[in-house]
Order: sequence, then C-alpha cells, then structure tokens
Amino acid sequence: MNMTFRGGVHPKGNKELSRNKALREMRPAGEMVFPLAQHIGKPAKPVVKKGDEVLMGQKIGEPDGFISAAVISSCSGKVKAIEKRRTISGAMQECVVIENDGLFTPAADWIKRRDAAKMTNEEIVAAVKEAGVVGLGGAGFPTYVKLMPKNPDAIKFVIANGAECEPYITCNDQMMRSMADGIVEGLEVTLRLFKNAEGVIAIEDNKPEAIAAMQKAAEGKKGIRVLPLHTKYPQGGERSLISVIAGIDFPVAKLPADVGCIVDNVGTLYAIGRAVLYGEPLFTHVLTVTGDAISEPENFIVHDGTLMTELIEACGGIKEGVTVKKALSGGPMMGVSIANLEVPVVKTTNAITLLGRDAVEDSHKHMTGCLRCGRCTTVCPQGLLPQLMAEAIHVGDWERFEKKLYGLDCIACGSCTYVCPAKRPLTQIFKETKAEILALKRAKAGGAK
Amino acid sequence: MNGVLNISASPHVRDRWTTGYIMTAVILALLPAAVVGVIVNGINALLVIIVAVACAVGTEFIFTKLTHGPDSWKNGSAAVTGLLLALSLSPAVPLYIPAVGSIFAILVVKMCFGGLGKNFLNPALAGRCFALISFGKAMTMFGLDGVSSATPIAELMSGRAVNVTKMFLGTGGGVIGSSIVALLIGGLVLWAMDIIHGEICFAVLGGFTVTLGLFGGQGFDPHYLLAHLCGGGVVMGAFFMATDYATSPVSKLGQLTYGLIIGVLGALFRIFGTAADSFSYSIIIGNLFVPLIDTYVIPKPFAYRRSAIALQNGEPKVPFWKKIPKPVVALTVITLVAGVALSGVFSLTKDTIDAQKEAAAAESYRAVCPGAESFETTVTVHNKLSELNGGVYGTSFGRAYINAAVVGKDAGGNIVGYVVSATSAEGYDGNVTISVGIQPDGTVTGISFTELHETPGMGMRCDEPEFRDQFNGRLVTAFKVLKDGGGTKPEEIDSVSGATTTSKAVVNAVNAGLDFWANYMKGGE
Repeated sequence: MNMTFRGGVHPKGNKELSRNKALREMRPAGEMVFPLAQHIGKPAKPVVKKGDEVLMGQKIGEPDGFISAAVISSCSGKVKAIEKRRTISGAMQECVVIENDGLFTPAADWIKRRDAAKMTNEEIVAAVKEAGVVGLGGAGFPTYVKLMPKNPDAIKFVIANGAECEPYITCNDQMMRSMADGIVEGLEVTLRLFKNAEGVIAIEDNKPEAIAAMQKAAEGKKGIRVLPLHTKYPQGGERSLISVIAGIDFPVAKLPADVGCIVDNVGTLYAIGRAVLYGEPLFTHVLTVTGDAISEPENFIVHDGTLMTELIEACGGIKEGVTVKKALSGGPMMGVSIANLEVPVVKTTNAITLLGRDAVEDSHKHMTGCLRCGRCTTVCPQGLLPQLMAEAIHVGDWERFEKKLYGLDCIACGSCTYVCPAKRPLTQIFKETKAEILALKRAKAGGAK
Repeated sequence: MNGVLNISASPHVRDRWTTGYIMTAVILALLPAAVVGVIVNGINALLVIIVAVACAVGTEFIFTKLTHGPDSWKNGSAAVTGLLLALSLSPAVPLYIPAVGSIFAILVVKMCFGGLGKNFLNPALAGRCFALISFGKAMTMFGLDGVSSATPIAELMSGRAVNVTKMFLGTGGGVIGSSIVALLIGGLVLWAMDIIHGEICFAVLGGFTVTLGLFGGQGFDPHYLLAHLCGGGVVMGAFFMATDYATSPVSKLGQLTYGLIIGVLGALFRIFGTAADSFSYSIIIGNLFVPLIDTYVIPKPFAYRRSAIALQNGEPKVPFWKKIPKPVVALTVITLVAGVALSGVFSLTKDTIDAQKEAAAAESYRAVCPGAESFETTVTVHNKLSELNGGVYGTSFGRAYINAAVVGKDAGGNIVGYVVSATSAEGYDGNVTISVGIQPDGTVTGISFTELHETPGMGMRCDEPEFRDQFNGRLVTAFKVLKDGGGTKPEEIDSVSGATTTSKAVVNAVNAGLDFWANYMKGGE
C-alpha cells in the first residue's frame, strides 16, 4: 500500500462521474462579476471605474496591503458597475461588473517565453504577485507571500499537491493528464527560489493516468519526483502531505514553511509557471461540474467571474426528474453549500456539485446521543479527541477545549462528523467554538492596547 | 432552480454507519454464543434470553413514552443490554431474574442517568450484579431439574481439575453464553470491523493472563491459564462488556489503562478471592475509573508529542526503541525475570511437591490401613478414574470426587485392606479431603484428613476423635448425619455441633469412597 497519514476516512469517491471527461474551455456570454475579495487577506482596490474598456487579462484590482492579491478580468468589455453583488458565501460583496463583449481580446499574447534563469528571485516573486496568483486548492492564500518565507534555504520540500482527495472533484486529475508539462515547469520555477529543496508531486493512487502523465513529464528533471499516495481523505490537506512526505506533524499555529515545506496545488504551480515564464496572469482555472443531479458532468477550464448557472447549463442542466436538494461550491467534505446559484465562480472555486439527496438532512432521523464509540478519535488526522472536545463544549468548559484538548488545532476537515454513527454535527460546533474563542482573544488583545 | 436548496455546514456526506447499525452488529456477534447456549441448555435458556431482551426493550419503550423522550428503544442498544444480561445468567434461573435484572439495568443504570452513552456502569453487568446480590441462591443454581452442579469456574476456584475443551466449546456447564469459541468468533469479527477497540480487549486478556501467571502460583502453565481464561466470563467480559462504549475511555492510551486495570483486578480476585463471579466486579470497578481516566489520561495531538516537537525544531529522528522511557524498560525486564524465575521454581519444585504430597498420602493411608506395607492401584480403578477425568463422582454425594484408591498389602503380598481418597467440595470453606480405610469385608477401619481448612473451633473439630472415630469399625453401605446427635444405629453419625455443613461434607466424602470401593474394588485383588 502507498504511504499515507494517520487517521482519515474513505468516503465514496464518485469520481467516475467525470474522471474521464477531458477539459474544455467554457467561454461565457453576458455579464461577468469579479468580487474584489477572492483570496485570504484584504480585498483588492479597484483600479478601473465605471465605463472603462478592459481587455482579457487586464488587472482590475490592485493588492491592498501585504496579504492581498490582484484581481484580473477574464474577458474584454466595458465596466458596467462597481457595486455590491451576492457571492458564493451568500453575502453581498464589492464586485467589479463587466459587460462581456464576447470577443475575449487578450491584453497581450503571452507566447514569448522568458528565461527564468536570468530572473532574480525578486523578479520571480513580483511576476507571481502581478499575475494575481492565489492558492487554488481552496484556501486562496496569496501565493507570492508563500514564496517569501523568512529562511528560503531551510525549505526542504516543495510539494505539488495533486492528491485531490475531495470526493466528486476530478479537474486536477484531468489537468495533470493534459497539462503535465506546464505543472512541472511551474514546479521548476518555484524550486529556483529554494536551493535546498526537492520537488515532490503527490497524487492519490486512484488517478493512475495522472500519475503516469506526471511521471513522464518529470522524467529526467533533477530533484523532482512523483509520489503516489494511498487514497484517503484528507490526503490533500497540507498537513497530511507534510506528515507523509517530511514526516513532521506541526501545530496549526505554525506555517508549513516553519517546518521546511511549501505546499502548492498543481493548478497554482501551473499558474506560477505561466506568470513567470510568459507573463500571463491568472484569469482561468480548472473546475468540475458534477453531482448526481447534473445531466452531463464535465471538467472545464473556466473564466473567473462566470455565473454558476451558466456552467450548469453548459453541462445540459439538471437531470430530468431530479430535484436538487443541495448545491455545493467545492466537494461534499469541505465545500460550502450555496442557496442561490446566480453567483460568480472565483479563483478558488474548483467544483460545483449538485446533489439530489442531502445526506445531512437524511442523517437527522438517525441522530442519537453520543455513544462514545471513539470513531471520531480514530479518524482525526490531527490526533485530537473530538468526543471529549464536544463534551467540553457541551458543558461550556472552553478552557479544557483549548488548553487540555488543543481544540484550536482542529482543521475542520469533517472526518469526525463523517464517521459519527450518532450523526452529531461535531465539525460544525468546533468551527463555531474556535471562531468564538479567537474573536474573544482578538477582543482581549485589542482591549490591552 | 427547482426547489429550495438546503444550507448546512460541511461535511455534506455521512458514513452509512448509524447507532442502529452498530447495535445490530453487536447483536449478530452475540448470536453464535446464544445459539450454542440454547442448543446445549435447552428451551429454558431461550426463555431467559427472550424475557431479558423483551423486558429491556419494553422498559426503555415505556420510559421514553412516559418522559416524552426520543424513541431511543428503537436503536437496539436496549436489546444488546438484555441479550448480554441473559448470556451471563445460568440457564436454570427462574424467569423473574432476567426480568428484574433487565428492568434494573435499563431503568436505573441507563435511563435514569440520561440514556444511551450516559450510563456510568455497564447496564447488563450492573443488572447481573443486582440480581446476584438480591437472589444469591437462585442466581447460583446451575444445572437443570433442580440438581445443583458447579460451574467450571467454581470447580477451578476450589482447586479441582476442569475440562478446558468442554469449556472452550461451551458444553462444560455454566452460564448460557459460556461457549468460548462462539464468543471469540463474534468478538473477533467485531474487532475486525472496528466496532470494539482491540486496545481494551487485548489489554484485559493480557493483563489477566500475565498477572495470573506471575502471582497465581502455578507459573505460566498453559492448562492453568487457559482454564482461567475460558471460565467465569473472562472472554465475554473482555470482548463484549469491558468494551461497552459508554463505560470505557475515549483515547487509545486511556483504553489500554482501563483494560489493564480490569485484567489485573480480575486476576487478583481469582487468586486471592473466592467468588466465582469476581470478573463481573472487576469490570464494574474498571467502569468507575473511566471518568477519572478520561479527565487525566489525554494523549496529546500528533503535533504536540515530544518526537514531533523535536522534528519541528529540526532535530534528527529518534529511533523507536530509544523513545521508550527507561523505567518502562526496567519494569518490563524485572517482570519478565520474575515471571521466568517463578515458572522455573514452580517446575523445579513440582516434583518435590508431588513427592511430598504422595508421602503425606501414604502416611494417611497407613494410618487408616494398619498392617499394610505397600499400596497398589488396580487396572479397574485406574480405568474408572481416567473415565471420571476429575469430574464429580456419583449422583447422591453432592460435589464429591475420587482422588485415588489403593489396595493395601502386607509384606507377604496379602490384602489387608483398601484405602479410598475422596474429596467433597461442599465444605464450609472449600474442599474437605479424607482417606477412608476399608477392611476386605467392608468395615470402615478409620478415616484420616488430608485437606481440611474449616472454621477453627467449629468445622475443624471434625478432626477430633469424638467425631472422626465414630466411623471406626462400622459396616454400612452409607452413613447419615444426625444434626442433633443421639444416634444409635450403625449408619448414624453425630454432627459436630455448629458445623453441620462440614460434617455433611465429611460424610459425603466417606460415602463416595465406600460406594467407589463397593463398585470397583470389592472382592478384587
């Protein structure tokens, strides 16, 4: 068996719905919406105003502060408005709205290849920043910040995350099959920044074609290897990958760079390669539209700002006779449920999953008191004790939750909730409690000043 | 979009395991033992099971209806409690016992403490202990048709030989769920399915075996250890009762601690106690430690363990064997050495002890068979003793056993008498073993005690001439005890006052010896 981390669960993959559907580009029509906050950190500052003509690949939002990222237009057309629009989370957020002229006129041709060997590290990082690259695995952390750790020489591993452990999602699988060379190029560019680091491309072993394609692309490249991993959720979590590859478990308060690792999604690495070698900004990414309620599940190369409804229509719409019970941005383990599908996809949206059955709703009739069976403890990839954490929350003992049980180290992967036979919403109460404790801490720190 | 979309926090999928699924699996795992129990013990065992399960589920049903609580009776946990309780009862108990036990288990131990997952004792065991305390006599009635017979573990506790094969198969008597092989099948399947925690069952079994081996006085003698493991509910306790979710710790480390507490306590009770039911109590005591263990035995998350912190700081990886704390190594070595030494001493001294026992026996033979120079056994006796294989002799002497029977000969090879060594296990405090000397015509020459540890001043007075010599020179087929004294007939023996039980045991042993002599030795060479 291939290597893996401790704990974890084996949810049904359902990847066969879309795993062999080749990527195709979806060019949207009509209005496009670009939220200014598509990343972790401060929202970008708009650099266009109503009525401006923009080209595809043109910067429309400038990073504001150290942790922030640029926002790029993915179409050509006229700025219609800068106003609050509904986004995936359901909240109204400041967005740049562009009337798409349907021509997709590029701002540059992005064909001439630059020689990365002649670029300084600062130039490489600047190119990534300019291109608006963020972590495409889901979190959306600005990538250029990640590329500037305190001690670059201490980095031992640059991990290309192609694990794709979320059920249903297959776009990274397809991307590795058809864009393997681009991913390896991006990894090589990144390795330039860290002279002591080895490149490891980590892929779960349920994607043999992707493993073969990446092995072929990495062949003969010094310091890069492909590592097949056992298929288990959350194998693609950065902590799981570091635990397997570097053998180090570390607290949530520390960053991967603190233990000598940089983890980037394969899509992010591809975007780094395009940005540094060709100057092409990030305005398209891969995305899977899937779920048992979708007529023809597909893997797309999508333009940021495309409305979800448009993508669903491109897949033939909802399956005949099926009522959609739940719509997810992302997969079923960590995805966000959406109430209104008239929202734009952003850089970090890697899947739209429409389900005809809601397992959460169905599970309510099986809910019982906690059995103390300990299944949550067995599966926790962090080695926490979810059962005791839930008990501590129940009796209001946050001190025990935080200090004795290390509750703040919960990564909200959902494994405990998934296996709970009593169907208790563990992850949810952990997330809530964590947020409240952190808010209290911030308030205290603010008060102390 | 058609319909209203549901919103919830992630994850949005759930495993197919439910509480009902787990309970069904446990019930199925207990079925082999239940089936064997019914086949071996007959219809009454089935009735006990049905009554226990029905009362358990019924009690929870009524409770939830009266308190308007959730329909928890449907999830099968009450049925598991009832089934476990039934399997830990004798098939001969009157049916009110499983009923009262189940009702107590569910009503008091489970529902009154908040229901599923909130009980602080294993309900089935608590129900069993409640019945043991309340209906002591009925609870220890084993064997059908009112004939009392000892469970294998009671025999074992009183130092008798037991048939391990029968215990393993479940045909050796005892509770309904006494088939070790059936329990093992169910238990191991549950373990393989990750329903019960291996940390608990193997810590219980390991702690029990090692403690018994170290302090049981017989070293690591496989027959001795297996007999103890197969009897007295150790296997059922380890796999089905100690592993009860609500009353076992949550962390792996805590589970190991808890399992060891139960195993070690269980073995100590076996070695130093007299109750055959002691394993139930050791699990109950283990249950009481659980809140304490869950409060203090908390393993740190992976990232905060010492080895992980060293790696985070860039220190080299420490090999596994260097991480074991020194005291643990030292303790393990000492324990191993002590264990090996004890078993060594046991096997070295076994021959000497046997020789001394033989010498003591020979002395007592001579005391009751004067004039004999040598004692020999016969083929008939040998065959019969092999056939008995340490089992109870006859039907009218209670739990009596024949240890040996010899023919006494003088220097010229002429038969001068016979000696039968017999034991009654029904003394006031364990075994009473006597040697009875018999003349060729059947007249009792005398009796001599080789094992007697009764109450001083009462039962012990059986070894005084006033009682002991009553047998001398009498020619009867069986003696009878007169409680109030004043016996005049040859078969009447006056009881030692205040020690009727011991007197009866002595007479039963003598009668068993006489009967054995009459059937297998009389007139023989």
